[in-house]
Formats: sequence, structure tokens, C-alpha cells
Amino acid sequence: MAKSVLVIGGGPAGLGAARILGRLGVPTILVEKEDRLGGSPVLNSYYTLIPRKLKPEQVLGPYIKEVESNPNVQVKLKTELVACKGEPGSYKVTLSNGETHEVGAIVVATGFEHFDPRRKGELGYGLYPDVITNLELEQMFSKEGRLYRPSNGQLPKRVAFVFCVGSRDRQLGVTNVHCCRYGCALSGLQAMEIKQRYPDVDVFCYYIDVRTYGTWEYPFYWAPQEQYGVRYIRGRIAEITYSPADGRLRVKHEDTIVQRPAEVPMDLVVLVLGMEPSAGTKKVAKILGLAQDPNSKFLIPSEESGSNIVSNKPGIFIAGACKGPIDIESSLSEGEAAGAEAAVFVGAKVTV
Amino acid sequence: MAIHERSLVEPERIVRKEKLVIDGVDVSGDWNLIILPRVINDYDLDFAKEIINSPDGKTITQCYQCSYCTASCPVHNYWDERFNPRYFIYLAMLGLIDELQKRADVMWRCVSCHKCTHRCPKGVLVEEVLKVILRTMVKKGLIDEYPSKKFDKFFTESVLEYGRIEDGELLFGWIEKRGYNVVKDPILRKPIPFLGETPEWLKQLVMKPIKSMNISFLALKTKHMLFHPKTKSWNRFKQVLRKVMQEEGAIT
Repeated sequence: MAKSVLVIGGGPAGLGAARILGRLGVPTILVEKEDRLGGSPVLNSYYTLIPRKLKPEQVLGPYIKEVESNPNVQVKLKTELVACKGEPGSYKVTLSNGETHEVGAIVVATGFEHFDPRRKGELGYGLYPDVITNLELEQMFSKEGRLYRPSNGQLPKRVAFVFCVGSRDRQLGVTNVHCCRYGCALSGLQAMEIKQRYPDVDVFCYYIDVRTYGTWEYPFYWAPQEQYGVRYIRGRIAEITYSPADGRLRVKHEDTIVQRPAEVPMDLVVLVLGMEPSAGTKKVAKILGLAQDPNSKFLIPSEESGSNIVSNKPGIFIAGACKGPIDIESSLSEGEAAGAEAAVFVGAKVTV
Repeated sequence: MAIHERSLVEPERIVRKEKLVIDGVDVSGDWNLIILPRVINDYDLDFAKEIINSPDGKTITQCYQCSYCTASCPVHNYWDERFNPRYFIYLAMLGLIDELQKRADVMWRCVSCHKCTHRCPKGVLVEEVLKVILRTMVKKGLIDEYPSKKFDKFFTESVLEYGRIEDGELLFGWIEKRGYNVVKDPILRKPIPFLGETPEWLKQLVMKPIKSMNISFLALKTKHMLFHPKTKSWNRFKQVLRKVMQEEGAIT
């Protein structure tokens, strides 16, 4: 019988890997440090996912159901990897619940975490209640079903999206020189969701570039402008202040098209957060000896392989947001590819 | 008080007052000079709304500032770079009126070649949108009407009066209206060409076609100038036409 495979992380990439391994009949151990599967989209109550505008339960529900019911997959919640010894083909792993297992291959899918905007003090997050994150806006929709200003509970007249918060930035110890990839598209989607419900609210997107790459260009950049009148203003917000006179915020920036400084009143400011490797990703990289980007600490694929799911250690595959910003559907497919690679590596005899 | 690097400060931002009191403190004398900030304090979104809601201006929302239009624009490229349709659209979308007004002197100079509209990758009807921006500015009293509109009105009046285009009346009437001294014969009260003041450009403009005309055509023109041919029943028709045009708002 083939050796088993350890999948670390129960988010989209880990679920993709565990599901394909289960389907191929490979004994699989899935460890997840939280108390339920689904990863960030489920744990953080995302509202609508880009690019197909589906709900997290629609996308991840079938994966969770199949992984939990497949007898080949053992799901271990509230469990983390503690130590790993041995060599490729027979890794001896110790888990936080005291168990030890011998596995043939490992799929690392430990994911990302959202940038903490308190590290950009000039943006006033935590200081002014009406400065919120795009994650909080998602939760406003998913949990409360309405848009409001946290300071007074009323509908804002103007909403500003501040792009690239904690992305493309090497200031203040922030080493996130990468682009978050999802921010422009999600902001376009959130702006449309606001305009669909409240057509009289004016929405502004402050950008440096708009990077709705590939097929995302029309649905998440053109449509918000053309169909909903969302305004895109070129200029990076450098400071957010509060005016006690009218109780509104001021977004300070240079409009780089007009080439003039601007301080424009806004009622609600949404910070579009960047992505960073999760604490788990950094920890697992240390335990397994995986190569990391010196700046961002994201995992980096093997230099010899053209495929980005192959790590620098034989038998260890990396998938999803642990190696850089990625969208959910790509995370799922990378997980599935990593799972299939792991099955091949442990010599699984597949009969379907 | 002197301003260092005055060339960097637009004259309209410099305020100098004989007597100046700020927060109850008299700062007249040396401290009587203020340079107004360049900061944009707010957008005028009602201005943009008017353009977006008009049938010929609604494509303004499609602009993503690639500047394909401006790069194609002959007015921008060969006349004055301050004429920039892409920039006018951006300013109008945010309602940055003061910036639009800074270019009021060039904004009317579109020659309607429609290169911008034909080439725009986003399908913005650039030329139409620009006209809507100007129309809205005129309506709100933010820009003077296009100078050639004055000639258009004079032209319309002349046609309404005679029922046809009277070249001589039009030409000399117009230069008289512009303040030049025109000499007229004492009997028919018709202007005599080249006797009074005539602008040099007009002399050239008139002499060029006259030189190439044949004698009989020139004689006909002179005859028409002295004795206007009548359009049949024009007086009655004129009254009806004037009434309709007034109702339509085409004339006042």
C-alpha cells in the first residue's frame, strides 16, 4: 500500500489537495489549526468571491463535504505540525496533538494573512471609526447586510477605496514589495455591490495602477465605471485626517493627473489590504526548511522546476497563498495539482 | 513682502491687501500678502451628474484616461497643448471647475475632426462629450459663449431678413458691427468696398475670390448688392419662421 500524504492547511489549496488525494485513494492526513475547514474565505466570512461572484459556501462547501466524508482522508482540526524528521519518501512528522506519522510526501497549503493597517499609522485605522478595511466591508455585507458609518450608524454619502495598503511598499519595516493581485478586482466588485443597493452613494477608487489582469478587466474595472459610475482617481492616499467641524474624514493625496494636492471629504474610507504569509507559513517553512523570499517571507518554488508548486525539498509541494497572493479558484487548482503530484511521488497505484 | 520664485506661483493665487486682519489681529503692513493654497478641497459632482445624465454625454463614464484621443487630436498636437480632451473629461467627471476655467480660452477650439471619437478604445464619444461639457459650463455661467456664436446670430438675422444669403450685407454689416468705420453711398446707403476702414485679413479674403471671378458674375454680385433680389412672399413667411424659431429656442 502506498505511503500516506500530509496536507498542512484546510483552506482552498489544502482542500483541493486533500480532495484529489482522497479521490485517488491515497491515505491522507489533513491538519488544520482552526476548529473548522474552509480557510480565510470561511473563517473571515467573505461575502462574494472574485471572479465568479459566488458565495464561499457555494465554492468551498462541496470540497469540505467531500473531504470530511471520504474515508481516505483523516481531518485533524486544531492541530499543527510541530516537527519533521527523515528524508524524502519517508518523513516522520510530529503533530501538536502528540501523534507521529510517517508520510511519503507533504503538501504545504498554509496560506496568508491580511496586512494589519495599524502599521500604516498615517491612514488612521484604529483611530477614526469610519476608516475600515475591505475585510470589514465584506463582513458588513455578509453579517449585517447593510452599509453604514461605524461612527454613527448612518449610510455614508461618499465611500473611498484606498488601493495598495500594505502592498508595493517597503516603508516602516513593511517589506511587501509585491502586488496583492486581488485588491483592484475586489474593490470593483464591492463598489458595484454598494452602488446596486445604494445608487445615490458616490464611490471613489484611489489607485496607482488598476491591475484587474486577464479576463477580470471588464467585470471588475470597466463595469464599475461604465454601469455604475464609480470614479477612479489617480493618486495614492498618503494621509487620512478627521474634521471635527463636519464629522467627515479627509483623504489627503496628490491627484497625479491634475498635479495638485487634494484633501477631499469622505464619509467612509475602505483600506484595500495587502497579503502577507501567515504565521503558520513562516513556522512550517522553518520546520521543513523551505526556501523563502527574503523580503516578503512567502515560500518560493524550486529554481530547477518550471512548475510553481514544486518546492526546494523533494516530496514537499507548496500550493495556494503561502507562496504569494493568489485568488481562490487558482488556489483550488494549485491544491489539486499539488495533490496529484504528491500521489505520483508516493507511488500511488490509481485505479478509477 | 517679496515672493521668492514668483514664477512658480500663478498670479491668481496671490492676494495683496492694504489692510488685513486675521483672527482679530491686524497684520497690515509687511504681512499683507497671502498666497492661496493649490489644494483641491472638494469635487462638484452635480456638474458631472448633469453631463452623465444627458443623452449625448453619458459615455463620459467610460473614459479610463488612456489619452488615445489627445494623442490623435490635431488641435492638441499642432495648435495648443493646453487643449486636451482626455484631461477635460477627467476634470468634468470630478467637477474640478476652476481647472476647467483655466483653459476656457482654448476649450472651444475643437475642429470636430472626430478622430478622438473614431479611435477611442472605450467607445467614448469624445467630441460630443466635450460639447456637452461646454454646454453645461455655459448654462451654469462658468464660461463665455463661443465667440463665433455672435457671428452665427448675425448670420441668422441676415438670412431671416432677406430670405437668402446676402454676401455683401453680411460681410460689411459684420465688419461695421465689429467697430470698423464703413463708408456708404448717400443714396442707397450701401457700403462702398475699400473706402472705409477694412481689416487687412478681410482685404485679402475678398480680393482672392474676386480676382478669379469672371466679369459677368462679378457684375451680378454687384447688382445684387445694390438691389437685393426678393424672395417671393418673404415678408409673410419671415414672420411665421421667426415665430417658430422663437418657440424652438433657436433665436431670442
